[in-house]
Amino acid sequence: MEAEVPKPERDTAPAIEARALSRSFGDGIDAVREIDLSVKRGEIFGFLGPNGAGKTTTVRMLCTLLPPSSGTAIVDGLDVEEAGPEVRNRIGVALQEIGLDPVQTGRELLELQCGLYGIEREAAERSEELLGIVELRDAADRRIKGYSGGMKRRLDLAAALVHQPKVLFLDEPTTGLDPSSRRRIWEEVRAINDGGATVFLTTQYLEEADELCDRLAIIDEGRIVARGAPEELKAEIGTDVVSIGLEGADPEATRHALQGLDGLERIVDGQGSLALFVTDGAGSIVEIVRRLDAAGITPGAISVSRPSLDDVFLEATGRRLAPEDDAGSRDGGDDAGEGEG
Amino acid sequence: MLHQITLLGRRAIRETIRYPEATIPTLFIPLFFLAVNIGQVSETFPSSTPFLNGQGYVAFQLPVSLMFAVATATSGLALVTEIDNGYFDKLLVAPIHRASIIYGRLVADFARGAGGAALVLLAGIAFGAHVEAGILGAVVLIVLSALFGVAYAGFAILIALRTRNVQATNTSFLIFFPLLFLTPNFVPFDLLTPVMEALARINPVSYVIEGLRSLIIEGWNVDKLAVCLGVTVAMGAVLTVMCLRAIRNYDR
Repeated sequence: MEAEVPKPERDTAPAIEARALSRSFGDGIDAVREIDLSVKRGEIFGFLGPNGAGKTTTVRMLCTLLPPSSGTAIVDGLDVEEAGPEVRNRIGVALQEIGLDPVQTGRELLELQCGLYGIEREAAERSEELLGIVELRDAADRRIKGYSGGMKRRLDLAAALVHQPKVLFLDEPTTGLDPSSRRRIWEEVRAINDGGATVFLTTQYLEEADELCDRLAIIDEGRIVARGAPEELKAEIGTDVVSIGLEGADPEATRHALQGLDGLERIVDGQGSLALFVTDGAGSIVEIVRRLDAAGITPGAISVSRPSLDDVFLEATGRRLAPEDDAGSRDGGDDAGEGEG
Repeated sequence: MLHQITLLGRRAIRETIRYPEATIPTLFIPLFFLAVNIGQVSETFPSSTPFLNGQGYVAFQLPVSLMFAVATATSGLALVTEIDNGYFDKLLVAPIHRASIIYGRLVADFARGAGGAALVLLAGIAFGAHVEAGILGAVVLIVLSALFGVAYAGFAILIALRTRNVQATNTSFLIFFPLLFLTPNFVPFDLLTPVMEALARINPVSYVIEGLRSLIIEGWNVDKLAVCLGVTVAMGAVLTVMCLRAIRNYDR
């Protein structure tokens, strides 16, 4: 009988692993503070947090653009500080700021990108293939400066894929895109992941994290405040969430009026609203209204929901990501769609 | 690395061709200066003036216009724009030598400088100058001018990498004034005031102008050409090394 050959360690080791990873800047800002991360091979890992939380700094460290102040980061089995060039060969990166040369055409940019990654003879073929994947064949020979935001984002994604990277870093890939462009990017990210690439995706959009990610970490002020699969994180809350708009009502008086409510686990201040974590949200509404009325408090809108990632964020940080920061659940954005230019 | 330089150089040249708005003003200034200077002083310095060797004043001024044409901040501005729009990060995260990003830009500087110098030379010839060293001398004149452009490009590239700021990079033209005007640009060394002569003699760019001018007015003066080439190469080497260090240490 043939002996079972153990899988090489690299196949079972995490695709990305960070230990006590930190980055400070000269102006006294600790952008990332001793974060630990372990991203499994083949998963889509989300890094969720508000603007300025440390997401981009973390990505820049992981993709060798920025050295850590302390701690270690291993990508595809290689230390990012010790083996920078080899790490760069194995990763694809699409940063928040779309890095494209506007004077070139989409095809020229991809062919150049192929050349920089050592793909020479097959550059034209690979570029054509990628243009097809991101549905930009019709615009391939137009200069990039005339592309819409969504087209630029898709081309940037294609540029990150020329060398079929094992690990793909996407830093806020849908920021500023309209809902249809956003969904198109999601489909492409899923397809890339189905092809075997590990995807590390930062986002400030709750809906995006919920929709795309197998697991995620929530970062706030440089620290990871929660981690796990989206459903697990929501299930950990274990209660319904009743949101009460304050509409000028005194938060302390409102809190006081609701103390002792049946099934109430905790009340969290949600910036202009209170979030009540209760075992039976729908069943508590009448009692909540009665108590507020008795206390002479006129609330704004009252809603009941199952816990969302926003509630997870609220519980971990005492602040909400949505609605102020969650453009992902709003329409609009600065992208005019597939505009011609 | 040569392959990477070729790819990035080709891209930068394509950018120059497709973005003439960045190049045309840099050619307008030397042609304007040439025309104005000749118009103002050609009667003061007729062709019988000893240092003109029988040519018109245009021949004496032509090297200065050549320097104007090639000494630009175009590469630095292109680089800082890429830093601004994020394409620079895309290049940094590719598995290439960071130095190839600089060398790629310098390849385009050479091409742009050679084109600009040829155009200004043709304008000078149209104004009545001729190159005493002949056609080969004209080619050497263009090549030396373009090499100076490559050397000079280091100033703006360095400022772009250090400041990452478009406005700061744009101010690199201020370096141009002492470098090109504290020289024997209007008259030879011995006709300058003592103070200006002292300053011109310690300014290495004076010897670049002298070398270029020798091809136009004197013919083949190997000593002056050697000094001209030496100064250009030394200046280019120092600035390129500084640029390479800056890009190596970028965000490090």
